[in-house]
Amino acid sequence: MSETSADKLAALQAARDAISDAGRPEAVAKRRAVGMATARERIDKLFDPGSFQEIGGLVEPDRGHEMSRDLVAPADGAVTGTGRIGGRPVNALAQDFTVLGGSIGTVADAKCGRLVKFSRERGQPMVMLLEGGGHRIQDGMNAAHFAAASPVFRELASLSGWVPMVTAIMGQGFAGPTAYASLCDFVVMLRGKSTMGIAGPALVKAGTTTEITKEELGGADRQADAQGIADLAVETEEECLNAIARFLSYLPQNAGETPPVIPCDDPADRRDDALLDLVPADSRKVYNMKKVIQTIADAGSVFELKPGYARNMITAFARLGGRPVGIFANQPMRKGGILDAAACEKAAHFIAMCDAFGLPLVSLIDIPGISIGPAAEDTGLGRRSGRLFFEMGIATVPLASVVLRKGYGGGYYAMGGGRAFDATIALGWPTAEICAMSIEGAVDVAYRKDYEAAPDPQARRAELIEMIRGQTSALDAASGFGLDDIIDPRDTRRILIETFANSPARRADPAPARRRPISPI
Amino acid sequence: MSLINVESELAGTVWSIPVSPGETVEEDDPLVMVESMKMEIPISAPRDGVVKEIKVAEGDLISAGQVVVILES
Repeated sequence: MSETSADKLAALQAARDAISDAGRPEAVAKRRAVGMATARERIDKLFDPGSFQEIGGLVEPDRGHEMSRDLVAPADGAVTGTGRIGGRPVNALAQDFTVLGGSIGTVADAKCGRLVKFSRERGQPMVMLLEGGGHRIQDGMNAAHFAAASPVFRELASLSGWVPMVTAIMGQGFAGPTAYASLCDFVVMLRGKSTMGIAGPALVKAGTTTEITKEELGGADRQADAQGIADLAVETEEECLNAIARFLSYLPQNAGETPPVIPCDDPADRRDDALLDLVPADSRKVYNMKKVIQTIADAGSVFELKPGYARNMITAFARLGGRPVGIFANQPMRKGGILDAAACEKAAHFIAMCDAFGLPLVSLIDIPGISIGPAAEDTGLGRRSGRLFFEMGIATVPLASVVLRKGYGGGYYAMGGGRAFDATIALGWPTAEICAMSIEGAVDVAYRKDYEAAPDPQARRAELIEMIRGQTSALDAASGFGLDDIIDPRDTRRILIETFANSPARRADPAPARRRPISPI
Repeated sequence: MSLINVESELAGTVWSIPVSPGETVEEDDPLVMVESMKMEIPISAPRDGVVKEIKVAEGDLISAGQVVVILES
């Protein structure tokens, strides 16, 4: 008797069941044993309930050569498809660690390629939940296969700046996952569970004889806090998936759309007296810039990126009157807020991302300068600081600069103070103090002969310092029209909201038509 | 319980030491104030703990990466 339609439907259902968590109890048990979720559970939690449409669930792995002939790999180890996050469509891939260690097979690679195509052609964010090794060794140790390489990096690069790209490293993420993450705008990892890096401990030992645990080699302490290759480290999988949704909530679906403005019940003209005391007039005293940001932005809207990395520079998405903005600010509490190589790169990458997706920029300036000395030079700072100038130079989103206190030297330029980058509005607080370098340093460099020749050199030095300090104030800055206005700190929120509401989405781009600008690094 | 070596992030002079051995501190509490770049910059507790040992004295010149406090957490 021939098969009926019902038989065929039943066969389809059986095939689907076989790849589901319910159909793979042993794989699920392994996850439970280590306190981690399955790829399918992660997908379910990431997306709005019932919104995920899988593609390629029924694929079989490539078994085209001797070493791969007997492979068993449900969905080829990757759950792929489209769903909705906060009501908006997003394409996602979740590696399945229970399938051959989450290795990336040829077919999964093709599935990823199709998602990239969706994201590119439909203008939708791309999210990758990664956990596994890199290339599947059974495929890779065969030149007939490996010589062709994978187009995945070209594909991912083609999305950069067009749609938001996110990677969550949800467990082991050495090699392939780290390479994927390197091309993404936002990378989140789990503290104590996730690892990232070029190669894991086994390869490191084999290749270099160095013995090191995977946590020491690629845990969040190194990769999120010390190196900043992850933007955020969180404690739980739930926090991780929530962070992805939160990151995306500030951004448009693609660079052709405008960022999502949401209703805001925090009054635009809210004046917080705390701002009068947060910044000490005595420039020897430091303060916590995060409190300034929290006070100015819409209540509860601040989402800090790379909070553990280069903490002398704060980068955060926030909202002002419901409008998403990107805030970057010097943090005097850490290294005095100086610009070192890490801070420059952190800010530069953030500015690039905000500019790509149309988020207006707010620069909160209290900068003692760009780092100096042999240790600073050894980081290539002469070039790396250039990346910050470069990104500020090519960004065309509205820019508001506010000098809270110190605006010293090249760092003041790099932060977009005054007319350096044609800010939409250039403001200062009454505590602003703006000049080419630290006043004491300037006196020692330029007037040493003068004060050493005086009857009382120290008195003359002090006199010179006071004289210069008397011409670096906020009102001096306003008098030369280097700033548009000096404002009451409590009005900052209202003025920023009004400025962005009154500005076109882009500032004029002074660059002539060209193929592309060239980043200093 | 683990011991944490709290390091200075930058070179400078120890300006003041607002904590004493045995004192309980919370994350972000200043442990040592360093004068650097004409500013008094805190070296803060990386997490909650008890000050086990203070390795510097007021007026000491310190370098970036130098351990200034051992914290028991």
